[in-house]
Amino acid sequence: MLSRIADSMFWLARYIERAEDTARILDVTYHALLEQAQHPYRLRWDALIAMAGEESRFRQLHREANALSVFEFLAFNHDNPSSIVQCITKARENARTIRDRISREMWEDINGLYLTVTGFNAAEQIAIGPHRFCEKIKFGSHRFHGVTDATLPHDESWEFLRIGWSLERAEMTARLVDVQYHTLLDAASTVSPPDNHQWMAVLKSVGAYEAYHRQYHASIEPERVAQLLILHPQHPRSIRFTIQEVQAGLRAISGTGPGSYANEAERLTGKLLERLRYDRIEEIFRQGLHSYLNELLRMCEAIGEDIARTYFYYAVVA
Amino acid sequence: MTQQGLFTHYDPGNFYDEMFSCPDSPRLHYSKIYQKLAAMARAQFEERRKLADLSFLLQGITFTVYSDGRGTERLFPFDLIPRILPNSEWQRIDSGLAQRVVALNLFLQDVYGKQSILKDRTIPPSLVYSCKHFHREMIGVKVPRGIHTHICGIDLVRDSKTGEFCVLEDNVRTPSGISYVLENRAVMTRTFPDAFQDHEVLPVNQYPAELGRILRSLSPRGEDDAQIVLLTPGIHNSAYFEHSFLAQEMGIELVEGRDLVVDGGVVFMKTIRGLKRVDVIYRRVDDTYLDSLCFRPDSFLGVPGLMTAYRSGNVALANAVGNGVADDKAIYAYVPEFIRYYLGEDPILRSVETYICSKADHLKFVLENIEELVVKNVGESGGYGMLIGPAVERTRCDEYRERIRNNPRDFIAQPVIPLSRVPSYDAAAGNVAGCHVDLRPYCLYDGEKVIIVPGGLTRVALQRGSLVVNSSQGGGSKDTWVLRGES
Repeated sequence: MLSRIADSMFWLARYIERAEDTARILDVTYHALLEQAQHPYRLRWDALIAMAGEESRFRQLHREANALSVFEFLAFNHDNPSSIVQCITKARENARTIRDRISREMWEDINGLYLTVTGFNAAEQIAIGPHRFCEKIKFGSHRFHGVTDATLPHDESWEFLRIGWSLERAEMTARLVDVQYHTLLDAASTVSPPDNHQWMAVLKSVGAYEAYHRQYHASIEPERVAQLLILHPQHPRSIRFTIQEVQAGLRAISGTGPGSYANEAERLTGKLLERLRYDRIEEIFRQGLHSYLNELLRMCEAIGEDIARTYFYYAVVA
Repeated sequence: MTQQGLFTHYDPGNFYDEMFSCPDSPRLHYSKIYQKLAAMARAQFEERRKLADLSFLLQGITFTVYSDGRGTERLFPFDLIPRILPNSEWQRIDSGLAQRVVALNLFLQDVYGKQSILKDRTIPPSLVYSCKHFHREMIGVKVPRGIHTHICGIDLVRDSKTGEFCVLEDNVRTPSGISYVLENRAVMTRTFPDAFQDHEVLPVNQYPAELGRILRSLSPRGEDDAQIVLLTPGIHNSAYFEHSFLAQEMGIELVEGRDLVVDGGVVFMKTIRGLKRVDVIYRRVDDTYLDSLCFRPDSFLGVPGLMTAYRSGNVALANAVGNGVADDKAIYAYVPEFIRYYLGEDPILRSVETYICSKADHLKFVLENIEELVVKNVGESGGYGMLIGPAVERTRCDEYRERIRNNPRDFIAQPVIPLSRVPSYDAAAGNVAGCHVDLRPYCLYDGEKVIIVPGGLTRVALQRGSLVVNSSQGGGSKDTWVLRGES
């Protein structure tokens, strides 16, 4: 398989996932914030921008973070490289460069999603609110996963896709937990009692609300939410689960068995996964959630870079 | 029979109409489809047309135009009314094209080999040497199996004055458009399945397999281990859809220049498991961009060192390098001579009378009569660098006179050919009107025989009255049917 094609597979998946995760967070947080519009928390529209890591760009474009400006920025903005429309456009462009290597159904699916999304009138969508738009993106992403699973041979191409969306999801979940926790802690020092409204929104945004209740049969506690989203072994959006997926993908490509590694990306993934397997949430909080998640994000970034060095951009000695 | 429905007020005009022999009376091979279309309500037709358009859009079958500096993807307009050729007419075209392709290949072998045709002065050597697509780097290169012209797209037009097909130009470098032939047929069978039940239309989908077979046969390491790739300039090239389409249909790797590297005179591609040797490159990158060490040093589309590998016989290229000397529009005028010289036969297909501006008497004639002529730049394609004398203002003609005087070798002129017309749907008017068409059949040459998929790409000038069919100039296309019989 050509390095460039593996690269495009990886990024195709990452962009789709980024679009979906952004849509999920936008949808849920948006409505949660509307519900508590009268609440003293001065949140928190900026939290959404922080999550996307685009504060400075946002400030160049909008004076104030509010329902309209945040929705516009995260969903439609052409200058925001992580906006949903930009992600779908880039996913489709990556798919186009490898359309001979993916199934016709996959191509037509992503092309259809692109046509739908770019056909939206941003002003109209902003007027009716993000829910319908975000649902389209979510289901578009789910459908793409489904079509891929059902029509693409589960060979190396599929593994690069799997690694791409798992790694992206791990990073997005880490950012989500980090930012939400931060803002809530800030608020908790000034306002009481702490509100679990926001955490409910976090759980809903990753589709883990029901799982939480089944697991804990209890009211929503920030520590438990963090535990679920970081350490849960089976929930498909927990960081631990997604890193397991990355490891499985990397091993399938290199053929490495458990207990060893074939390249730096595999070594780091193994190391990260061991932590996620054996760390307890109390330990994480003792270290400080923010610092823990930051370390984790840095490792994810390093894994991404090492995958690129190993498979996409290795030096050719001619 | 009086014209009805979509054909109300249809006027074949003073042109050869492919559907009607005279107003109201369809030709034999068009009679069934005419009945079907004439009986169809406009709304029914519209519905099918929208279905076809949607199908192209969803599949992303687009080409890129660069008019706004940003590059936008556009649909290649597709007209649902097919262009139909009875078998006998096709047979003549088929043998005429085969003859021409073999002669062009022999010319290229000769001009980069012994050069006997130059020594015999059958063509002025200065005309060959002054062609900017003649590459001295190719002299003496033994190309695999002696094939230069693996894929040719030869443009034919039917002259309304005689009703006869003639050759308008040869495209033997990197002709494109075959993917539209195959996709048009696929869309047509989906939107008009009933029409295919009434006709025996010869299939076209064998093309990728035939091309794949020829490419495999070129491998320097034998066919079994052959690693074949299609080299594309990338996603921003206007024909990118076709590149990925063909790669997928043939099951070969689609590569860009940056995927390839030459080491020790051998071409490799960069895979996730290291370098892998490449044997055959179906390249859709122009000669001068192929190798920055040999041609344009600023090219990032090719592979440095590729020409060395090619000349050493370590990799095969299709088409061969340097083919542009055979489809130069001035050298075109000599192709009938090539056919006589190399094959000892008379040309089956007529060529268009051509004035070569580098000849003093021709130049004089062209300058005096430019208002009546079509002037073409010899090295251009795609409808660029062209002047249609009767259709433009006098000042434009003067502008061209000046350009021709300054660089006579760059120009030829031809009489304006009144192209035949096919009824085509005009969405704005809601009825059909006659639109000018050409025909580009795709010829594959395996070194022994020429294989031509029946029909080819019918391009249609959808703008009323326009004679320019190129997609970059607002042209569209039609499915082209060659019937198994005469009707």
